[in-house]
Amino acid sequence: MLADGQYAFAALFSVVIGGGLAAFWFKRFYPHRYIYPGIASMIIFIIFPLVYTVYIAFTNYSDNNLFTLERAEEFHLQKKYRVEGGEYKFSIVESSNKGLYSLVLTTGGQTTADGSVTPVEVYKSSEIRFYDKDDMAKETTRLSVEKNTIPVEKVDSNYQPTPCGIKCTMKFRDFLKTVKVSLDSNELSMIDLHTFGAMRKKFTKLADGKVLGNGRMFKNPHLLLDNQTQKLFMPDMERGYFRYIDDKTGDFEGENYTPGFRVGVGFSHFKRIFTDNNIREPFIKIFIWTVVFALGTVGITLAIGMVLACFVQWEFLKGRAIYRVILILPYAVPSFISILVFKGLFNENFGEINRIIDFVFGFKPEWTTSPNLARMMLLIVNAWLGYPYMMILCMGLLKSIPDDLYEASAMDGAGPFQNFFNITVPLLWKPLFPLLIASFAFNFNNFVLIMLLTNGGPDYLPEPGSTTATMAGATDLLVSYTYRLAFEGGAGGHDYGLASAIATMIFVLVGTLAVVQLKLTKKDAGR
Amino acid sequence: MAEVTLTNVLKNYKLGVLKDTLRNINLDIKDGEFIVFVGPSGCGKSTLLRMVAGLEDITGGELKIDGVYMNDIPPVERGVGMVFQSYALYPHMDVRENMAFGLKLKKFDKDTIEKRVAHASKILGLEALMDRKPKALSGGQRQRVAIGRSIVQQPNVFLFDEPLSNLDAALRVKMRIEIAKLHKELNATIIYVTHDQVEAMTLADRIAVLSPLKDSAETNLEQFGSPLELYHNPCNKFVAGFIGSPKMNFLKGQLIEIGEERCRVKLNTGDVVTACVDARRANVGDKVELGIRPEHLVPVDHPDAENRLSGVVQVAEHLGAESFVYMDVDGEDFTVKAASEIPVDTGDSLEVGIPAKACYLFDHEEKAFRRTSKYNRS
Amino acid sequence: MAIVQPKSIKYRIWATHALVCLFLLAILFPLFMVVMISFREGNFATNVSDSIFGLFFPGFDSLTLDHWRLALGMSYIDPNGKEVLPPFPVLRWLWNSIYISVVTAAFIVVLSTTSAYAFARLNFSGKSLILDCMLVFQMFPAVLALVAIYALFDNIGSYIPALGLNSHGGLILSYMGGIALHIWTIKGYFETIDASLEEAAAIDGATPWQAFRLVLLPLSVPILAVVFILAFIGTITEVPVASILLTDNVNDYTLAVGSQQYMASQDKKWGDFAAAAVMSGLPITVVFLLAQHWLVGGLTAGGVKG
Repeated sequence: MLADGQYAFAALFSVVIGGGLAAFWFKRFYPHRYIYPGIASMIIFIIFPLVYTVYIAFTNYSDNNLFTLERAEEFHLQKKYRVEGGEYKFSIVESSNKGLYSLVLTTGGQTTADGSVTPVEVYKSSEIRFYDKDDMAKETTRLSVEKNTIPVEKVDSNYQPTPCGIKCTMKFRDFLKTVKVSLDSNELSMIDLHTFGAMRKKFTKLADGKVLGNGRMFKNPHLLLDNQTQKLFMPDMERGYFRYIDDKTGDFEGENYTPGFRVGVGFSHFKRIFTDNNIREPFIKIFIWTVVFALGTVGITLAIGMVLACFVQWEFLKGRAIYRVILILPYAVPSFISILVFKGLFNENFGEINRIIDFVFGFKPEWTTSPNLARMMLLIVNAWLGYPYMMILCMGLLKSIPDDLYEASAMDGAGPFQNFFNITVPLLWKPLFPLLIASFAFNFNNFVLIMLLTNGGPDYLPEPGSTTATMAGATDLLVSYTYRLAFEGGAGGHDYGLASAIATMIFVLVGTLAVVQLKLTKKDAGR
Repeated sequence: MAEVTLTNVLKNYKLGVLKDTLRNINLDIKDGEFIVFVGPSGCGKSTLLRMVAGLEDITGGELKIDGVYMNDIPPVERGVGMVFQSYALYPHMDVRENMAFGLKLKKFDKDTIEKRVAHASKILGLEALMDRKPKALSGGQRQRVAIGRSIVQQPNVFLFDEPLSNLDAALRVKMRIEIAKLHKELNATIIYVTHDQVEAMTLADRIAVLSPLKDSAETNLEQFGSPLELYHNPCNKFVAGFIGSPKMNFLKGQLIEIGEERCRVKLNTGDVVTACVDARRANVGDKVELGIRPEHLVPVDHPDAENRLSGVVQVAEHLGAESFVYMDVDGEDFTVKAASEIPVDTGDSLEVGIPAKACYLFDHEEKAFRRTSKYNRS
Repeated sequence: MAIVQPKSIKYRIWATHALVCLFLLAILFPLFMVVMISFREGNFATNVSDSIFGLFFPGFDSLTLDHWRLALGMSYIDPNGKEVLPPFPVLRWLWNSIYISVVTAAFIVVLSTTSAYAFARLNFSGKSLILDCMLVFQMFPAVLALVAIYALFDNIGSYIPALGLNSHGGLILSYMGGIALHIWTIKGYFETIDASLEEAAAIDGATPWQAFRLVLLPLSVPILAVVFILAFIGTITEVPVASILLTDNVNDYTLAVGSQQYMASQDKKWGDFAAAAVMSGLPITVVFLLAQHWLVGGLTAGGVKG
């Protein structure tokens, strides 16, 4: 799925190596030697994938357009077509020498239209080794077989061998598919389980170009001639596919021929996101849910975390050290385990949560099939996972609020609630805000939770009849939607270009948030 | 021990981008001298010290220790010992290890290390604390360990970077005396940086007064001389104002009469003051500034009270042995230090006498005119 | 603070205790359940007798160690006399996870310490710009660039197979990008260490390397431990990149990749998963709790100082 990126990779490695040489060669860059390894790995594993993703967003990279132009051309050049006639029934004959076989080809014996019977001809190869499926799985065997051509010689037409039957054919199928047989000047390959036939290359490359019907000389480095139909075939750089051209005008005509190749498509993915209803509708729904999810999570975890932090910092509460440890527990358990635990507990049929609800209330909520319940489940689970972080942050920040403020408010006669809302919250708010932005950005992209818990489901049903419909689910976040576009594929297969376009939009958003957060943090620190 | 010579030293942290920090510093420090760099914050005194130590590179000019060119020599080979403002004791080592660290790095044998550490700890009275970590020491003890750490190295030059600024007032006085004693004992060349002019005056053989570098100035080394020389004959208004506590009073005026020994100045207040100053390089009518140290003012009935000046008392502080009166003289702050109690209170009018011999005079460029006599209040 | 409190504070304390305990019950429920389920017979709750009590506490009759046997890589004989083999090599995954995370964390500590040293102590052009960029870039989730990461490792693998796709070397390498926050954390700590310590060392005759190793490093052990543990936990719980880079061989999976298998198939192995989850989750949880005192400091330092 890659091949092409070569230029990008070459650029990447020359930047990294060049930077390294510069840092270690010039004395002026002495300090840079210390940061070089760290920065280089960040460039390779974070910045480069980022840039490459943005680049993909402007190409048609997808299942159908996987290859580079060169690879696609190669693919077409390897295509063959069957020459009329020249078909031979084949059978496999086991030799008296164990483990060796010969291939026997027979032709003729059919009754033609005028009632005559074509002469029967029989050809036989020498006794050679056949390879079974396991042998063929080995790379070396396969390569040596590919190069081999089996010669056959004419034998007496009355030769009646005892073939070892379809079982043999099945056993050596992979081998037979690979070998070629040379008969006279023809090269034969297996066509089906009974037949070998003469094949010919479908395309030849016209490196020198060709004069068209309108008298114009037509030249293209990738111009191909279809040997079967004598039509001209060449890449349509706008569509990313090879197509036939009109012999006279040179205009493209007819359908696209797969495999396509990768070409730049400009902003068309972005246009599609905003204009193609099949993409726009799920995209907007998912975007709204993503924002709701991220805001909801931050709000819920912050509220729980802040209140708990105040509780466990309250000096009159005995045993708060123990509370503190237990309250941090959800943060200590690896999240991929706790999410999967929740997945089991929330299972509609056998999950313990539904068993309890069923026992008490007599019904089973459909956590995985009802969109709203699934979303509620996500928020519950994420609150469980996320409140300890907020609590830890708030605990740290609470320590920095001087006691004398509470002493002063006690003189003014404030109660605990007034203290909380008039002193604690406003004082925590300022240092917390940049951290809340970071938390928002994290949950905006909380891929692991979605992937492990719901995998985006329940899925929206695709519009009837749509071909470009991609899978989208009620609990999909933009980031999991992107992942599914790229790695699971919908009706349109894996669409890396579209996925990268959405990823690029998320990059812009996250980047903006990051810069805002940075500014706020700095302003805060400079205070 | 060692002589230290600085010739036309220049410091600029980023040539062409930032302004110079130090310019044209020329100092000739003799063997065994106790030199203090003093000046307000931002004058580059610490930078100068760090340049001697080799912690900052020297942008221009040259540094020689014992006649050897040192600009490019790393700190350890310069034969200097340094005591940092923060003491810079290694927190993970105890006192003994702190002192021995440098010797170990230099691969001294165990006996020598032990001997030297024992010697230094004895001088500094640290014997009982050798196994403690710096965290468990008081400020004064840490200070001593820091000094001990440089003593064991037996450096040619000791460098002290504001070593007392982190101590409380009482301890500071005590440590100051100890450092003075140490200097006598070691007989070493010491360069000492402080912003406290009392420390400078009490410790130094000679003081280098530095000021924040002005763009046009040729140098920011204002004056280099013995404490009393700076006190009695400051070469400009900056030094005069910086040395002495409380600060010198300044009053603006105009020359109206010039003589060999004396001149007369008409102050902006209208008063005419006679000063024992040789102002012959100036002309009558030139703008000048008169300086009088608060401790030189006398009661009007005092025999030295040749000139008089009156003002309105803002605050009077009575400390028993002495009194400070802060007055307003025609809109200028004016401080009086009296040896005895002056019975005045806020709002009162007070007239003081100014001895002619106690006057300092500065021209419009703030350069001092030569004083023709010294004055000590009897 | 010793403000004289009104009498009513007693009730408030009790109310708070009650509230917190109630909340704790809700929080501990899933953890409690997964432990119980790991000892319960069969993979489904429906196998249990219908009482709600039996759901929480497996009775003596339904108590079983079968799930644990499987988790520990042993087989057992089911009531029909058939041998049940462990569905997945959990111990192997746990080992993969631990060693990958230890190696990753060690490399991350080394990489980020040297970088942090330069950022904290040396002056060079573009320093603050690089620092800012690092913070911005580390916020981009790797999931979005998975296609590119896959392509990158496919490419690297064609030259050095040990660092390509389906190799633990490649996975470890891919985690080297995530050091920005750690650099900030260590740098922040270095900056709290008086720079004149190293100057004193220089005057004592230490080379820059000696000053770094003998003075700065011993003083930084606490923060390096924090970064090591944070990096360890971050790596061991990482899912997306590991899922993309390790696909071929089930034995190569990390725990985070492998444990999805239990709940992914149609035939959900809920009980087996519970045992595997408790077994593998426990050590990580214990490490975190033991280290939480420092970690909390490190987290807030990294976060707040930013």
